[in-house]
Amino acid sequence: MRHRLSRPASGNSRLVAPLAILLAAAIFVVDTIDPFSGAVAVLYVVVVLLAGTAFRRRGILLCSIACIALTFSSFWLVHGEEASGGALSRCLMSIAAIAITTLLVLRNQSTSTDLSEKAQLLDLTHDAIFVRSMGGIITYWNRGAEATYGWSAEHAMGKSTHQLLQTVFPARLNEINRQLLSSDRWEGELVHTKRDGAVVVVSSRWSLKKDADGKPLAVLETNTDISQRRRAETEVLKARAELAHVTRLTTLGELMASIAHEVNQPLAGIVMNGEACLRWIDRDEPDLDEVRSAVKRSIADAQRASDIVHRIRALSKKGDIQMALVDVNELVNEALVLVRHELDANRITLKLDLASRPLPAFGDRIQLQQVLINLLINGIQAMASSNSDFREILVTTSIDESSQANVRIQDSGPGIDPDSARQLFNAFFTTKTDGIGMGLSICRSIVESHGGDVWIVPNPGGGAIFQFSLPRVEKDAGS
Amino acid sequence: MIRRPVSPSQSQGNNGAVPPTVLVVDDDPSLREALSSLFRSVGTRVELFGSAPELLNSRLPDGPSCLVLDIRLPEVSGLEFQTQLAKAGIHLPIIFMTGHGDIPMSVRAMKAGAVDFLTKPFRDQDILDAVAGALERDRQRRERERALSELQSLLRTLTPREREVMAFVATGLMNKQIAGEMQLSEITVKIHRGRLMKKMGARTLADLVKMAGALGIDAPGK
Repeated sequence: MRHRLSRPASGNSRLVAPLAILLAAAIFVVDTIDPFSGAVAVLYVVVVLLAGTAFRRRGILLCSIACIALTFSSFWLVHGEEASGGALSRCLMSIAAIAITTLLVLRNQSTSTDLSEKAQLLDLTHDAIFVRSMGGIITYWNRGAEATYGWSAEHAMGKSTHQLLQTVFPARLNEINRQLLSSDRWEGELVHTKRDGAVVVVSSRWSLKKDADGKPLAVLETNTDISQRRRAETEVLKARAELAHVTRLTTLGELMASIAHEVNQPLAGIVMNGEACLRWIDRDEPDLDEVRSAVKRSIADAQRASDIVHRIRALSKKGDIQMALVDVNELVNEALVLVRHELDANRITLKLDLASRPLPAFGDRIQLQQVLINLLINGIQAMASSNSDFREILVTTSIDESSQANVRIQDSGPGIDPDSARQLFNAFFTTKTDGIGMGLSICRSIVESHGGDVWIVPNPGGGAIFQFSLPRVEKDAGS
Repeated sequence: MIRRPVSPSQSQGNNGAVPPTVLVVDDDPSLREALSSLFRSVGTRVELFGSAPELLNSRLPDGPSCLVLDIRLPEVSGLEFQTQLAKAGIHLPIIFMTGHGDIPMSVRAMKAGAVDFLTKPFRDQDILDAVAGALERDRQRRERERALSELQSLLRTLTPREREVMAFVATGLMNKQIAGEMQLSEITVKIHRGRLMKKMGARTLADLVKMAGALGIDAPGK
């Protein structure tokens, strides 16, 4: 394929027309006064070919008819009615040559018009389309590519693509090429640098062009600029993380009493151990073993207080999402530390049925803890408002049939009516008088952004069961 | 430097009775151990329990004892435990340990007869004093109960007649009036009265009236 397929050069027609007329006139004169009575009229073919470069179908036809008419009139003028058989056959041969040439010219022109129209179509698209040889040299570069990258076709042709665009590949280039050669195509996201230095993210589709023997000839690369979309997606992610952070702070606010208790407990321990310690020292015979164990307990308590403060700081911090391998069982235990007091205060019995093995999942520790805390508080609040004496929360973790990590939080509250259940995870939907309806909607957005699912089923024994699952971790699947 | 709570171990030791014991119920093992260490450092016996049922399932000491209880306990809360104990007829003095913001709970606990409550973290002297007071209270209660049960066994030695006479005497009636009420001769009343005073070990009329009050004896027919 050429850079631009030559279009019928309408611009040249002004020059070609007089030339053709002049040539036709010259042939006519020679043919008419022809002393050799040779087949000079065959030269009209040149006129037709000339017309073919300048005119469209109609012009070529007119030109061809004119040439035939001139041939015929020369013949009439020279031979009149007493034409010899030889002369007539020469004239007919010339006319046939002109006709055949015309046909060929017309056919050739329609093919090239087709091709050029197709090439024009490629120029209409906004996608950047270019062709590069197997060596990476650009051999075609459409308008979309000019617009996207800022390089003109003249500049881009003959350059190496990956150098010109400073391509950043999502995988090793060898790997990509291997896939291209084996399946004739490749799709993925590339990062390119434009002429002005700006970076564009493109969704790229490559297809391999092969010759008749199946030998790869060139690669057609079609790139769609998705920078805008990517930016919007990043914005959405950022907004979502911020919302999660704000609701996390709200949740922590609700847990204030629990948190105070959890920190106060080890502090009381430190004070008490310290006082006991002094008394053991001040005895007539100081008991150093008792002193030692009191000091050890103080240290353990201080460590415990510090752990809780650390955990709360982590929850309240506004940090980037950090995806890592986490153990769901561990997350459950960590979340329970913060709500345990809330359970006690509402006289709720906690039952745990955790999977005996670690439950690996890939996710952001803080956000997943937030989901657990929200679901637990949800259950606690549901029961706090009921008058029933049976108050129990059962937390179960397991690996389900499709090897996903599954968490169930079952309460014995009043349950949820089916109408509410449908809207429960929508933003701003709440059944509480003082709720804003963000908690569960955040839970859903977090779980879904982890590729998981969250849903609710009625508890057959009364109450509700909130459940969520996280995709299995491939690495563990084999072990 | 060592300040000891009223050392009941000694006073009890003289009577050959069981030394006083502090029963600690707290679900936080670290705090439990700290309390134990504190009490042991002043020579007081301690028994530790992780939950209310754990305590109910074990044999309680015979000597004077008191409970040190976290008001927020899992399973059975401190307040519920207090009610359960009362229903079971266990009248141990209770010292509640509370966190911040547990004021309504503390009020309920006090109304239900808790002797003290301390907000964590508290000074060691505060809890030692509270415990000493509670143990003393329990000792006195046990003393009273023992005296009462002695009186009750004495009361059982009286004949129905003598018991009736005792009731009338306790309301302050003269022998003549009692004789009138019981339709007996005054001399017979006098004999009954002398015999029952002796049986009950009452030296004066005032003693007998006090005993009747302790035993809850009212005038017959009222």
